[in-house]
Amino acid sequence: MNKDDFDDETLMAFADGELDEARSLALEEALATDETLAERLAVFLDSRRLVGDALKPLIDEPVPEALLASVRKMAADAQAPRDNIVSFRPKPQQAAQPMARRWLMPVAASLVAVVTGVIGFTLGRMGPSATDASTEIAAALDREASGRDVTLSGAVLHVVASFRDERGELCREYELKRQASSTLTVACRQNGAWATRLALTTPQAEGYVPASSQETIDAYLTSIQAGAPLSAEEELKALAP
Amino acid sequence: MPTVPERLVAFLPNLRRFAISLCRSRELADDLVQAACERAILAADSFAPESRFDAWMFRILRNLWIDHLRRLKTAGPHDDIDEARDVSVPSGEAAAHARMDLAEVTIALQKLPDEQREVLVLVCVEEFSYRDAAEVLAIPIGTVMSRLARARKNLMELTGISFGERRSPDTKGGVS
Repeated sequence: MNKDDFDDETLMAFADGELDEARSLALEEALATDETLAERLAVFLDSRRLVGDALKPLIDEPVPEALLASVRKMAADAQAPRDNIVSFRPKPQQAAQPMARRWLMPVAASLVAVVTGVIGFTLGRMGPSATDASTEIAAALDREASGRDVTLSGAVLHVVASFRDERGELCREYELKRQASSTLTVACRQNGAWATRLALTTPQAEGYVPASSQETIDAYLTSIQAGAPLSAEEELKALAP
Repeated sequence: MPTVPERLVAFLPNLRRFAISLCRSRELADDLVQAACERAILAADSFAPESRFDAWMFRILRNLWIDHLRRLKTAGPHDDIDEARDVSVPSGEAAAHARMDLAEVTIALQKLPDEQREVLVLVCVEEFSYRDAAEVLAIPIGTVMSRLARARKNLMELTGISFGERRSPDTKGGVS
């Protein structure tokens, strides 16, 4: 048996106990006489052990009190009868206070929220009364890649990400920055038009959208079982006419 | 069968380990764990009771992490990049030379590309089969194997740990 018959992935599968019996036997036989093969196998055996030794003990680290309390409360709340409005379900603020970071900000605090819900106003389907702005936004959504600032009349549009909802419709999350306010919107393509699913407006502040609106958006995305953001290539493909 | 919220609390140490291993920052890891728990509770109905709870949770957390990376990319520089270096080496009963190796492994792990580290963590730490890892990562099993093999060869190269001729223990306190 020539050692070339065993590639790296075969050796690795053996080290991980994932190689079928016939090939395992053949490999064991070859290992008995081939030292180079044994050395190559050692890379996979040793790496598995070393990574395990380095990272497995992290499980013994105590979970921070605040996190533990927060998740406990979340779990307890979830067992209680449910609130229907996903985005504004009270957050475990009590436990969250000590951390008060990105994911934990109270949703309503600094937020002027315009929740249009699933029905909402529909961009590009407004007939004669359609404002130029809606048309302009819809055109930009049809065309622009995520992550870039696009200047429209009176506003700057920034598409955050593209993804698919539970029905496989293409959706885009975008931010519209105007002079005095900024709006974070989730819109999905329906019958060739962009339908707004959720829009949150906050007073304009320096920098990026406040964490609290992000959290609401995240909760909403969960509720429609949004997929992971599309990669740049996937997005390009999805946007292609 | 316990419900999703009931299982979450017990699963926290494991979820947190996975998060720290992925993102290399405890602070970010805790945020991700918190957010993943929120999502899991909201999406509890979509969990199939006969499937693996850990795989389901890892997938949720990993998606959040990818969202986060994506946002970092589109939102410009962010603090977390500077914080993402605090996975310390466990101390305790490990012998001195083993600790030295672990330090090197930990440093090497941080240098691996994210996509190699995540598959490494799933298989070598969480002990997922290739098939289960493929499902969590939503990639073909062949990709899991090629990525994993590359990750392990890279890791061993980066550590520079040479087995069979391990350094003798008396080099560890070297001067200068």
